[in-house]
Amino acid sequence: MRIGTRTINPTKIICIGTNYMDHIEETGLDVPKEPVLFPKTLNCLISDNEPIIYPKFLFNQRKYNRVDYEVELAFIIKDKCKHVPMDDTFNHILGYTVFNDITARKMQAKDIVSKLPWFRSKSFDTFGPIGPRIALTDEIQDPHNLNIELKLNGETKQFSNTKNLLFKIPKLMEYITTMFTLEPGDIIATGTPSGIGSIQPGDLIEATIEKIGTLTNKVVMEGE
Amino acid sequence: MNAQVPKNPVFFAKTVNTLVTDENPIVYPKILYENQEYNLVDHEVELAFIISQPCKNIQVEEANKYIEGYSIFLDITARKMQISDRNINLPWYRSKNFDTFGPIGPRIVPFNDIEDPHNLNIELSINGDFRQQSNTKYMIFKIPEILSYISKFLTLFTGDIVATGTPSGVGPIQPGDSIKASIEKIGSISHKVILEKDD
Repeated sequence: MRIGTRTINPTKIICIGTNYMDHIEETGLDVPKEPVLFPKTLNCLISDNEPIIYPKFLFNQRKYNRVDYEVELAFIIKDKCKHVPMDDTFNHILGYTVFNDITARKMQAKDIVSKLPWFRSKSFDTFGPIGPRIALTDEIQDPHNLNIELKLNGETKQFSNTKNLLFKIPKLMEYITTMFTLEPGDIIATGTPSGIGSIQPGDLIEATIEKIGTLTNKVVMEGE
Repeated sequence: MNAQVPKNPVFFAKTVNTLVTDENPIVYPKILYENQEYNLVDHEVELAFIISQPCKNIQVEEANKYIEGYSIFLDITARKMQISDRNINLPWYRSKNFDTFGPIGPRIVPFNDIEDPHNLNIELSINGDFRQQSNTKYMIFKIPEILSYISKFLTLFTGDIVATGTPSGVGPIQPGDSIKASIEKIGSISHKVILEKDD
């Protein structure tokens, strides 16, 4: 897929759950001892200015009709790597971008309570907007000091700074590559700050990270 | 496993770093082997089907048009890690997705060559002892229902792999084990389990 002027061919998307202290406080979840990982599949990826499709299947069922935005800093893997030590992390990162981890919240909550996998609620088509560009590692000296913001119809809903990340990028890289081989183009989304909330067909979402840019997506009803 | 009979198919993801082909080793990760909390890794033999063309919102009656063929899949699972994650409501992900935790093969049998995929003997042996022996007729959700259900959520793409679940008899594997998994009319895959080497 293209992100700005670059083409990447990811083989997987790994997301980090509950990784901002402000979001952990908001959800009432426990502070994790290790990073919490879950996948999104590639069918969810869309670019800047492409629509997020609200599935009818969710919209028409009261038990599932809540879908949320979650703005996140994502990093893109540069080369195939495994067992990456923390001090070698940035040699394996191509750059940074903005990711929106769209989530069918009621479905996720129901699956969590039933101890089922977090998969279907996270991986509907178009539930992973990414872009508008990849800021290379030499453009961003410190990825842990960037303002991160999400606006819904012009109103700020999430505002934080990547310095509030519980597990920083080198720790995430070391932890993930202890278990899994990463491939060039793979996408790691580092978690969302507080302020999560629901979207509706017709909404306009602008997700911004300092020094990267703004990812803009409209929400449309499936079939319209 | 004492799991409840589900109302709908339960699905989870394995990422493509897990895939290995016939005769390639399953690597037992050191971080599991050396940690008493996590040192249980299980075999699960499954019938897999491969998608032939992109599809979304497919009706049960139409599902067969989107199946390229069938193969054998091993859903290798770090069981203690899965249970400990599930007990604290964490996602089923890391326990399922270590490198080499998804052997597949030995071939794709074309859709037309298997008249009834729901009447195939399926078995798995370790070092020659049978551990899983069943038949695909015991699957709760049949292939067309599974494909139709998943495609309500996700677009499936050409080459995507859907593994249909494992029968009883799951159990642990150890470094040094030879695993052979067979499905009638498809064939067998054989994998040696080796301990991850030091860097």
